[in-house]
Amino acid sequence: MIEILSVTGPASVQDLGRFDQYRFGVGTSGAMDDVALRAGNILLGNDENAAGIEIPMLPFKLRFGRDMAFALTGADVEAEIAGRVIPPWWRSHVGTGDILTVKTMPRGARLYLTVGGGIDVPMVLGSRSTQFRGEFGGWHGRPLQPGDVLPCAASSATIGELGIEPAGTTLARPNAAADETIVRVVIAGEYDGFDAATQTLFWSSSWKITPQSNRYGYRLQGPAVKPKAPIEKRSHGIVPGVIQIPPNGQPIIQMRDAQTSGGYPKIATVIRADLWRVGQARLGGKLRFEQTAYTDALAAEAEMSAYLERLRTNVRLVEETRTCR
Amino acid sequence: MPIELTDIARLAQILERSGVDTIEIEEPGQSLKLVVDTDPRMAASPTLIVPDADHSVIAKADIAGHFLAAHPWRDQPFVVPGQRIEAGEIVGLVKIGLLYSPIVAPAAGTVDAVIVEPGATVGYATPIVRIRPIN
Repeated sequence: MIEILSVTGPASVQDLGRFDQYRFGVGTSGAMDDVALRAGNILLGNDENAAGIEIPMLPFKLRFGRDMAFALTGADVEAEIAGRVIPPWWRSHVGTGDILTVKTMPRGARLYLTVGGGIDVPMVLGSRSTQFRGEFGGWHGRPLQPGDVLPCAASSATIGELGIEPAGTTLARPNAAADETIVRVVIAGEYDGFDAATQTLFWSSSWKITPQSNRYGYRLQGPAVKPKAPIEKRSHGIVPGVIQIPPNGQPIIQMRDAQTSGGYPKIATVIRADLWRVGQARLGGKLRFEQTAYTDALAAEAEMSAYLERLRTNVRLVEETRTCR
Repeated sequence: MPIELTDIARLAQILERSGVDTIEIEEPGQSLKLVVDTDPRMAASPTLIVPDADHSVIAKADIAGHFLAAHPWRDQPFVVPGQRIEAGEIVGLVKIGLLYSPIVAPAAGTVDAVIVEPGATVGYATPIVRIRPIN
């Protein structure tokens, strides 16, 4: 088990998400950076859907209640365990009572803490993810608080320290400026409701991520993007990644805790292979949209899968090599 | 398909395990020959020889790959000469495929020298960092 000692902002238990309840209006939830969660679980030899803790703000501190392996992936952080510095995207082991302290986050927006065997909260509607909107799943359906003691599944493996190349390094995008995240999008249903000049404005603008951005959605700020004539649609199904244009012309990217339906016109949708990049984009930072064809979106997804597959193979290889000695 | 360092490591391991001492692979544009040396005198470090004159202790690589003095997300190397370190502290990384395997200090002391250039290929037991232990 692990005990939360101090937490800033809405940290929560998340797995990959809740995917079978959408038709009942239950959103997916799940890790905002699913690549990082998978990578942590691969490092630990866990099921890739094992639940971890998503930490969006620092400082954060917890105590391990027994010997166990853990991994930190996602955002770059300054982390220490029992006085030892933990490099980024790293797995390590701890003894009973060891305290993990995470102080600052120089890069990225969400840190993932995974543990050997996973955080063992009950499955609710097929997932361990916290559903903020419905207040269920995860740890009592709410953000973590100091004093919370989370159960961890038993893990047999004793493993040595090991790091992996961060997804952002392997899957780096060309022309990315330090403070700007470029995400690939495919155009959506109401794109043609915007005139050519407005469409160009949408593509060429550098969108500021406002403080009103969270697991529900990212509210962006920039020049007003408005349709030729007001578009009013009945509420219809939407998915995480959809970029809506409300009447004020300021885009909203729907994220993991978004509603399952909405009526605002949709100009584009972030491709699945880049949704984690949005999840790691910082408040106050900039986003730019790059139009992508459907086939290129599939290719990007294949590239992401290839990265994860290489991780699996490489970790297996090193484990075998170390066991040999 | 290019032959990766990870493939070579894996092949070497399979050879060693199965008692085969040589393998040769030829493909258009590339060829690879691996010979397993079973002579125990040759089994140790294939690369640098480190003077053993003083009482230095050596942090060694425990896997084959490329030496990294700093994590790719960090400007500063793990250690610099003169730095005080604790036993078990990470002094560098070996990059193998997408993995970073730590090189750790076997004893507490002061870093005397980082012997290997960043990016250099290292093997099992290659000396990486010389440490003057604290008695």
